[in-house]
Parts: sequence; C-alpha cells; structure tokens
Amino acid sequence: MNILFVMERRVNAGSIQALANYIQVGKNIGHTLAVYGNPDSQLSEIYFSKEVHLFDYVVFIFESRLNWVSGLRLAHLLTIVPRSRRVILDADGMYNPVIALDGYDRNHASERERQRWVSSYEALADRIVQPTLWPRQSQVQSLLFYGYESRRQTVQASSHAKHVDIMHVGHNWWRWREVSERLLPAIERMRGAFGDICFVGLWWDAPPVWAAAIGQEAAFSVNPQRLRELGIRVLPAVPYRDVISTMGKARINIMTQRPLFRRLGLVTSKYFEIFSADTLPLMMIDPGHAEQIYGPSGRDLVLHDDIASKLVDVLEQPKKYQEVVQAVRRHLTAHHSYERRLHELIEMLGGRQPAVKAG
Amino acid sequence: MKLLLISKLARSSRAIHTIAQYSRVASKLGHEIAVFGEKQLDYPELQFSLDVHAFDMAIFIVYMPSDFPDLPYLANLLDGMPKSRRVIIDCSGRYNETTRVEHDFNHLEKMDGHQGWEWIEAFKSVADRILQPTLTPKRSDVGSFLFHGYDPEGVAQPVTSAAEATQRWSRPKKYGIAYVGNNWQRWTQVRRFLEATRPIHQKLGPIALIGWDWKQRPDWAVRMGIKGADVDPEFLQQLDVEIGDAIPYTEFSGFLSNARFCPIFQRPLFNELGLVTNRLFETFIADTIPLVMVPEPLAESIYGPAVRPLLPTNDIGSWLRDIIRNPEPYWEAILRVRQHLTVHHSYHQRLTELIAMLGS
Repeated sequence: MNILFVMERRVNAGSIQALANYIQVGKNIGHTLAVYGNPDSQLSEIYFSKEVHLFDYVVFIFESRLNWVSGLRLAHLLTIVPRSRRVILDADGMYNPVIALDGYDRNHASERERQRWVSSYEALADRIVQPTLWPRQSQVQSLLFYGYESRRQTVQASSHAKHVDIMHVGHNWWRWREVSERLLPAIERMRGAFGDICFVGLWWDAPPVWAAAIGQEAAFSVNPQRLRELGIRVLPAVPYRDVISTMGKARINIMTQRPLFRRLGLVTSKYFEIFSADTLPLMMIDPGHAEQIYGPSGRDLVLHDDIASKLVDVLEQPKKYQEVVQAVRRHLTAHHSYERRLHELIEMLGGRQPAVKAG
Repeated sequence: MKLLLISKLARSSRAIHTIAQYSRVASKLGHEIAVFGEKQLDYPELQFSLDVHAFDMAIFIVYMPSDFPDLPYLANLLDGMPKSRRVIIDCSGRYNETTRVEHDFNHLEKMDGHQGWEWIEAFKSVADRILQPTLTPKRSDVGSFLFHGYDPEGVAQPVTSAAEATQRWSRPKKYGIAYVGNNWQRWTQVRRFLEATRPIHQKLGPIALIGWDWKQRPDWAVRMGIKGADVDPEFLQQLDVEIGDAIPYTEFSGFLSNARFCPIFQRPLFNELGLVTNRLFETFIADTIPLVMVPEPLAESIYGPAVRPLLPTNDIGSWLRDIIRNPEPYWEAILRVRQHLTVHHSYHQRLTELIAMLGS
C-alpha cells in the first residue's frame, strides 16, 4: 500500500519521529510511505513525494493548529484525492467536546472554535483516528500510531559514565502546572541527593513572545527563577533524531504529559522514545494507563505518590529498575513496534469506513 | 448567472475595488454575485454566501496562497462545485514558468512557502479554466480576461470639455504628485521618477506616497533578504515626501484628486507579463493628470492611441513642465482615454465578457 502523510514540518516536535520510522519499516516490508512535499535537508531521513496520484491514501496529521496547510496546497490535495481516501490523525484530541481541566489545559478555547475544528474534519475526511485506546467519540477509531523502535539496540553504558542524574526532554507546553506543583517540590525536598538536573526543550527559560498574541499565555506559563534556584539547567530543544541519544546522557529521564492528553489517554512519540534511550524512564502518568501501554511492569516506573523517594530509590538501585525497563521493552517489542503499528494502519485504511458525516 | 467569488478581501489592496464593481454592475445586468464566506461587516457593499449549491460558477481570484479559503470552507467548496464549473483568475501570473524581472518574481518559496510547480499543479487540479488579466497570456492553456475595468460613473469631477477640466485642474491642489500603492516591487521606478522630478520639485508642490512600507524597508524583508520592498527614507526626506498609510479603496479616487499628477506604476513582473491591475483604470476616474509609467505597447493596448501624450518622454522634467505650461492637450488626451475606457473596458462590458466566456 502507498500512504502519503500530510503534516506540518517540525524538526523538534510533533510526529516527525514516528514518520521516519514508518517510512523505514514500510520500505523493509514493501510499502511506500512518504511525506507530501519537496525534500528537506533538515529532514534527510524522510522520503518526500509530491506525486499525490501515486498514493492509495492520504493521512492528514493535525496537532494543535487547524490551518497549517496552505490553501493552495490543500486545494490541490483535495481535488486530486477523493474524500474516501483521506484520513485524519487527530493527534491532540481536537475532535472531542470542549474539555477544560481545572481552568488550565483545554483542547478548545470555546464552543465556536470546537465547531470549526469538527466541521473542518468532517468536511475533509471520512475517517478520523486518535492515538488513544479509548476514543470518546463513536465516529473516531483508535490507532495508537506512535510506536517503539524494536530494531534499535539500546547500548547500555554504565550509569557511572553519565553526568546527568535527572533529565526531562519536552517542551513547556501545558506542563508547568504539573512540573511546578508535583515534580519540583519533590526535587526540592531531596535536592541534595541528586546531581545534575536538566530540562531540554523550548520555553522553559521564557514563554515565546507570540504566546499572548495567540491567546495561549497559560500554555507557556513558567518561572525560570524557580528552576535556577533548584539548580536545574535548561538546554535548547534537540532535533527528533537526537532525542534518544540526548535522553541517554542521563541516569533517569522523566516523561510528563499535558493534562488534556492524560485525560484523553493520548499517546505520543515520547511514550516510546524514552524506552529506546539508554536511561531509566519514569513517567508521570496514570498507573492504569501505564500498565495498558507498557504492560504490568509499567506501573513500577510511574511517578505517582511519593515522587522524591521514588527518584532516590531509582538512583540507588539502578539494576533493579533496569530489569523492569527490560520487561517493558519486551512488552513494547511485542505490542507496540512500528512494524505492528504499520500493520494496524494498513488494516485500518483497508477496513470499513466509520460514519463520519460530510460537513 | 450566479457567480460565487472566492478571494481574501483587504480594503486597501488586491481586487477589492474590482469585486465591489462587479457586485454593483451584476444586479443591473440581471446576474447575482456573492463572495464566498461568512458575512464580513467591514464590507457592507458586498453579498456573502456559503451556499455553494446556489451558484452556477465558482471564480477563484488568486494573488496569493491565502486567497484559497481556510478549512472547513475550502473542502465544502471543492466538494460542492465540480471542477468544470470552477474558474481561476490568476491576477499575478502565478500560472507561468518561474519568472524573474529585476527583484520581482511570480514564485519564491522563501516568501510564501511554495515552489513554482505547486502553483501550476494546484491551478490545474482546481479548475478547468484559468484566466489571466493580460491580453497576451504566455501559456496556451490560459485564457485572456482583463478582469479589472473602468467605472465611468465613478469619475470624480465629470467635465464636458478639456478646457473645463483644465480650468478646474489649474486651481491649487494639496499635492503636486501623489502615488497610492504599496511599496512592493515599485521602488526602482518610484525613485527614478522622483529623481527626474527633482529639478522642478518646487514648481510641482508637495509629494505624497501612500501605502504600506514606504517609511522603511520592513523587518521581514530584511530578515528574509527580499529586495522587493526597498526604500530610501533619507532620499524621500530630502524631497519632503509625505508618507501615509494605505487607504481603503473607497477613498482612492478622492485622494488622488488632491494631486495635480498621479503616476501609474506597475510591478516589473506585471509589465513583463502584460498583466493589468485596477490601478490602470481607477486612476483615470480621479481629477488628476495620470502619468502612465507602464510600457508603451501595454499602455496603448489598454488605453488606445489617445494615451500617447500621457506616456513619459526621456526627459520627465521637461514633460511635466510642458503639462503645467499647457495642460489642455493633456486633458484632451485624458478625456479621450476615458471615452475609450468607457467603450472598451467598463465593468458593464467586463462582466458581460465574463458571462459570455463562462457560458461558452
């Protein structure tokens, strides 16, 4: 099957890492997967194509912005590709009712905005999939989409060779509340027990200048002074191809997730990348969800109640946790490899259409 | 016929004046015209509609990528109107080989994210018919349709003779020269023109440049290394040029009527492709002497032979001096051009041409 992805090109965010894997895995098993457009020197692993007519299906990947595709490009795509061969991956759960959590994180700022998204999706494609095990809308299909690089051999370095104790790789996008209310107090309580701590990503040093202009100040809320006081270094974002090696520089990597994604059970590339890295992953997600994705051992890697003690325990007993991590990796290889994910995608595309109505 | 126009509207640029004129003329001719989209209160003179099925034809008026609507409207439009009933009016020659003239261009990826092939492929896939406002399209699959036109009823100060016009024009005006247009690919011509008028600057009176980016080269152009918005603020200051922000299209002819002379400049690309804009027609409704700074063949093909006195000579200073000394023959030329425009390029005529073309 030939599948063309249409996506916003971002070298250090979004779904680009997943696409690099799909393209590679597809090549190995005789499918052609590509991203729409011209080759991009920043994304040398990605196969690009503009021959829309050569593809059986077009998958539009929507994240947090609706109108990222230029009208010119979209007009071309919509004319060449019939609706029945268009699919939407709704990565950020926008095809849902308005969900606002504690007056903080939300998928839509208003009902009017939600209507715009919903009618756009319904006008664009017959099928909508979300990377969650439990989509809330009956018209939406579950397709986890993101997966584990089972081919990657994680080379384990001695934990003594690592200079960073704790690392967090991810942008400050709806994360500050959880980080400041749960993670930082835990670090503060046991700061003396930890060595170097790094946050890698955008907007931990300051919110972007355009945050207010797009009405999203809350999403980028941050107090860099507090990070400095805790001796936490902030490092710039890294391109997707360097995420795993960057994580590998730390004994522990912590994965946080914005509250909306946790509520909707949405998975991201990070869920799996962190297990490809030579590190001890710890996730700030619901233990039940961790078990669903990572298998029974996943619960042991969740930062839930006593975060400070857990961090100390992991640093003091790395061997114990390495075994847990190995068990999770085996589970991921069996259930969440990109090979498996690609089969699921092909099966979904070839399957019957759900009842999304045309706008 | 019921026509649905698709265009991103702006009150001081692109096709707004033309669209408003089509709307005005359509009802007189028994046709119906609406702009695709939700009602925009800024444009009380226009009808809007999202009901694609209620229209016979969809006409995309394209200057830039955002002239194609956002979601969900674009998908609804394309699904609701078959390709055979869609037409593109390619106002800035995008549907051509990539063309560079001086700093001007029809495709530049770093400017709008699109390479030439995307324009060509998209236009081909969206519509069966592509029209360009030029008498000389370069591609065999493009139709010629001038699109913009002249509004004889809009003449600011109707006169019956050149003598009457001369008498009125000879009264004091606020500006000697006024140019209304944005600083996009015009600086080279504007500078050359102003340099040439420098010797008679005092005699002409104040100069006004009205539009975007005449104060300074915009940051985005500096950042992106785009030369098309160059300007020399020091030079303009030496000539005491008054600079103002863009004005809405409804104020255009009124503003120009405050000036004795109004040059008509076109982008180098447009001159190369023979593309016309509404400025070629609108300037002739103002109570001013238009100085037609476009290539002679293009000027004559639009305005007729009467335009010749209004075309620049090698010595612009002497030309202007002569007009000031003896304006009546120039007004005679203007009135004859207006007559030519009324006969050949009125909006009534233009819409009739369009309907005939669509019905064929």
